[in-house]
Amino acid sequence: MEKALYILIGLLITTSHKPLLAKTNLYGLVRSGQYAKGNLRTMHQPETAKQSVDGVYIVGTYPLYTPKLPPGEGREIMQGYCNMCHSVTYITMQPPLPSATWATEVYKMIDTYGALIPEDEVEQIIAYLQSHYTTETRKETKLGMKGRQDIAEDESP
Amino acid sequence: MSENGSEKISRRFLLKVAGGCAAWLGLNKLPFARAQASGQAIQPLPDFTGPGVNPYWGAVGTFAVYPQKLPLIQLTDRPVQLETPRNYFLTPFTPNAAFYVRWHLEGIPNAVNLSEWRLFVEGHVEKSLALSLSDLMKRFKPVSIAAVNQCSGNSRSRFQPRIPGSQWGNGAMGNALFTGVALKDVLDAAGVKTGALQAQFEGLEKGRGLTNSVSYKFLKSLKLDDPVINETIVAYTMNGEPLPMLNGFPVRLVVPGKFSTYWIKALAWIRVLTEPDANFWMTKTYCVPDTPGGNTTPKDAKEGRVNMVPVGTMPIRSFIIIPDGSSKIPVEMPITVRGIAFSGYGVVVKVEFSMDDGTTWGIAKLGEDYGRYSFLTWEATWVPKHTGKHILAVRATDEKGNVQPDEAIWNPKGYLWNKIERQEVIVDTAG
Repeated sequence: MEKALYILIGLLITTSHKPLLAKTNLYGLVRSGQYAKGNLRTMHQPETAKQSVDGVYIVGTYPLYTPKLPPGEGREIMQGYCNMCHSVTYITMQPPLPSATWATEVYKMIDTYGALIPEDEVEQIIAYLQSHYTTETRKETKLGMKGRQDIAEDESP
Repeated sequence: MSENGSEKISRRFLLKVAGGCAAWLGLNKLPFARAQASGQAIQPLPDFTGPGVNPYWGAVGTFAVYPQKLPLIQLTDRPVQLETPRNYFLTPFTPNAAFYVRWHLEGIPNAVNLSEWRLFVEGHVEKSLALSLSDLMKRFKPVSIAAVNQCSGNSRSRFQPRIPGSQWGNGAMGNALFTGVALKDVLDAAGVKTGALQAQFEGLEKGRGLTNSVSYKFLKSLKLDDPVINETIVAYTMNGEPLPMLNGFPVRLVVPGKFSTYWIKALAWIRVLTEPDANFWMTKTYCVPDTPGGNTTPKDAKEGRVNMVPVGTMPIRSFIIIPDGSSKIPVEMPITVRGIAFSGYGVVVKVEFSMDDGTTWGIAKLGEDYGRYSFLTWEATWVPKHTGKHILAVRATDEKGNVQPDEAIWNPKGYLWNKIERQEVIVDTAG
């Protein structure tokens, strides 16, 4: 009597949350429980900057999210000069542009915005931009080992 | 019951339960999916778009977190430029934490001491002023206005050929209720002298260029006889809060109906001029062709055949916010299509919605009126009658009779885009 009761209870517990028979399929369910590796990118929620009653309204430091540029001749020279006023994200944000447009843009930095770049280094900067950011040469960034654009795939984390 | 008897019962009980479980699982065929060993769960947007048109509603940048802000679409980090994701435009007022950000120079304020900050009013005036935020709040009558702030280059990534610059999608805009002091009241307090022509505005942001050079400070001016002067305010709250630092704390200029290039952030100097302002930021950039719709061709621009004038009033625009194409719609399901509209030239009087790519149009229902310079929300019910690809469209008309064009325009800097917006939606069976 008792053992029959135990068996009955066991079966009921096992099956209580689902109908028993094969006829009750999950009709229409094509896929479920499907997961794949995501990128654990560091997008932390920002902590509120410490505030005190001193007249100073503060928000803290602005983060830099500059992607790493593809290696090539002229990269370091370009970064050295361009980073004086703005990050190189201004470059990677652009659509692929005609070669001539990159030259125009660099001269605009010098003639309009006052960038102090010696002539021979201007050539190298333009050459670097033209070998990586034109309609012919622009490529999607390969996400690095942890799915981060600030680490190129061919460099270790 | 004997001990032996109990043991036997337990074992048999367990076996029966196990057997029951196995049978149940087999019968119900639970689809166990195997986690993929490699490959990403979510396919990200591409790094860049072009040389064709950016096909996405917004810019394709990654989400980024900044002080006082929700994750927003990043265009650049130094100086900061952030775009508002589409769904925040469902409400007529854009949350401060989602409001887009655009600075020209890398020296953006991180901290401001209000004990020392002053708004200086100087130049061709009877009396120079140095007003603290407390002075602004106490000595002047507060005024409020709901006004759309839109970057001149909003939607620049639609242009063909593509134009270098900030590659905005549609999200470089926002609407807020601004409260502050009427610019007219501040100027009257200083006493503008006869012969004054313009007021020039400068903020705390500074660049790395040599002092007094173009890349050191950002300056914009308004003509004193421009009617907008009577509606311009020096705002110290935005949607009922202090301005976020990235949107111009402690005060910014609000120039209703005009592009936000004039809305100087972290305003610190108002200079009354007796000559037209010839500074770079007024005459050599932020200029548009003096043609209908600000349209020209690359050839004409290059050959100097087009007269350029400072960009000013915002043309009429309207947008579909939902549906956004991220979901198929079951056929015959009643959908509420929602969006916004605005014009710098006057009240939006009509919004029309098309469910067939502009072949036929119907009148959309307009939302609450927050004033002529605010976002106006609209909605329309759409019940798709057949499956397949559908193209929704929206167009608005303002009180001056301006209607959005359905042709692309071009100008050298990528300003004034206001072509009719479309949204492709797939309708599929409902069973």
